[in-house]
Amino acid sequence: MTQKSRILIAVGLIVLIVSLVLGLEVLRRQRSVLTRAGDEVVLQPGSIPIYVDGSLAAGFTPEGLGELETVSFVDDEDGKTQEGWMLRDVLGLYLNTAALDSDASIMVSSSSREKSVTLTWAEVDDPVNWVMFDVSGRGTLKLVSVLERLDVRDEWVQDVDKIGVVTR
Amino acid sequence: MKEERYFSTFQLILLALFAALVVVAKIALRLPLQMPGHSGIFWMAIIVVAAGVVPKTGAATLVGLTSGLIAAFLGMGDLGALNTFLSYTIVGVGTDLALLLLRDLDNLVVDALVGILGHIGKFLVKWAFGAMTGAPVGFIALGLLRAAVGYVVFGALGGLLGGLTLQALRKAGFFAYLEEKR
Repeated sequence: MTQKSRILIAVGLIVLIVSLVLGLEVLRRQRSVLTRAGDEVVLQPGSIPIYVDGSLAAGFTPEGLGELETVSFVDDEDGKTQEGWMLRDVLGLYLNTAALDSDASIMVSSSSREKSVTLTWAEVDDPVNWVMFDVSGRGTLKLVSVLERLDVRDEWVQDVDKIGVVTR
Repeated sequence: MKEERYFSTFQLILLALFAALVVVAKIALRLPLQMPGHSGIFWMAIIVVAAGVVPKTGAATLVGLTSGLIAAFLGMGDLGALNTFLSYTIVGVGTDLALLLLRDLDNLVVDALVGILGHIGKFLVKWAFGAMTGAPVGFIALGLLRAAVGYVVFGALGGLLGGLTLQALRKAGFFAYLEEKR
């Protein structure tokens, strides 16, 4: 076999692997939508549900992020730039945040990581706290902040899949 | 009769040093890029150089395995020790498998492809762990294509950097020195 053939095989292999992963991910998403539909929760593919007082209020979709301003800060632990979208802006896309009391609680959770954090609206709304979503290398969202209980890797909520707001 | 070992002690020491260098590079070298997989530019370069300096099948795997053990014990990565260990190891395994097919590290195109194939192994591990742990399927699509492109581009750049380093080492007479050491 010539070196040129080997190179072509390698290029084909790379294309095949990437296509396979992306294809499987599309299938996985479709299956997830069907499961959710079976539970009578209708969400768009690729959305993260936002519950208000226990009721599904909206599905946060990747498309919505395009409308938001991108922000960033450098975390103290790793010196890494966390870049993404403020949680208050994300909530503002779907909810009337002006009506939220400062002590309303916002819970952001990840079922796969079994992690969650509950913050007050006052904390989320204060830009100094940098309560924001950063996109991880795998394309999932992680909640980061400079708040003391959310400022190191162990405290971040990676792979976020639910946002809950309790107004009462 | 003295049994011939697959790797000499000198080669094992070299590979261990490369493994340590992979971990140090991951900790110390940072690029201000918000692109997934950008660290591949460093560690694929190191792995390709290791595979060039010790041109035996399994050399890259050994570097991946050793660096994976070190990184796991240092608590690196945010997806747990097993994920860290497998991510590092698969880079070495992928590189070795790519070299079985492509062989010639003197060719810069081959170096880039070896870099991509090695680095894409890490992407596969990250994705597979996400799928197995039931990570949210939604937003993963937002970044998955971007991540795949990042891993391919930075793997290629790392492979190229490694190839250029090997060429520089060859010009500097490093390989002639290694031959004398045998």
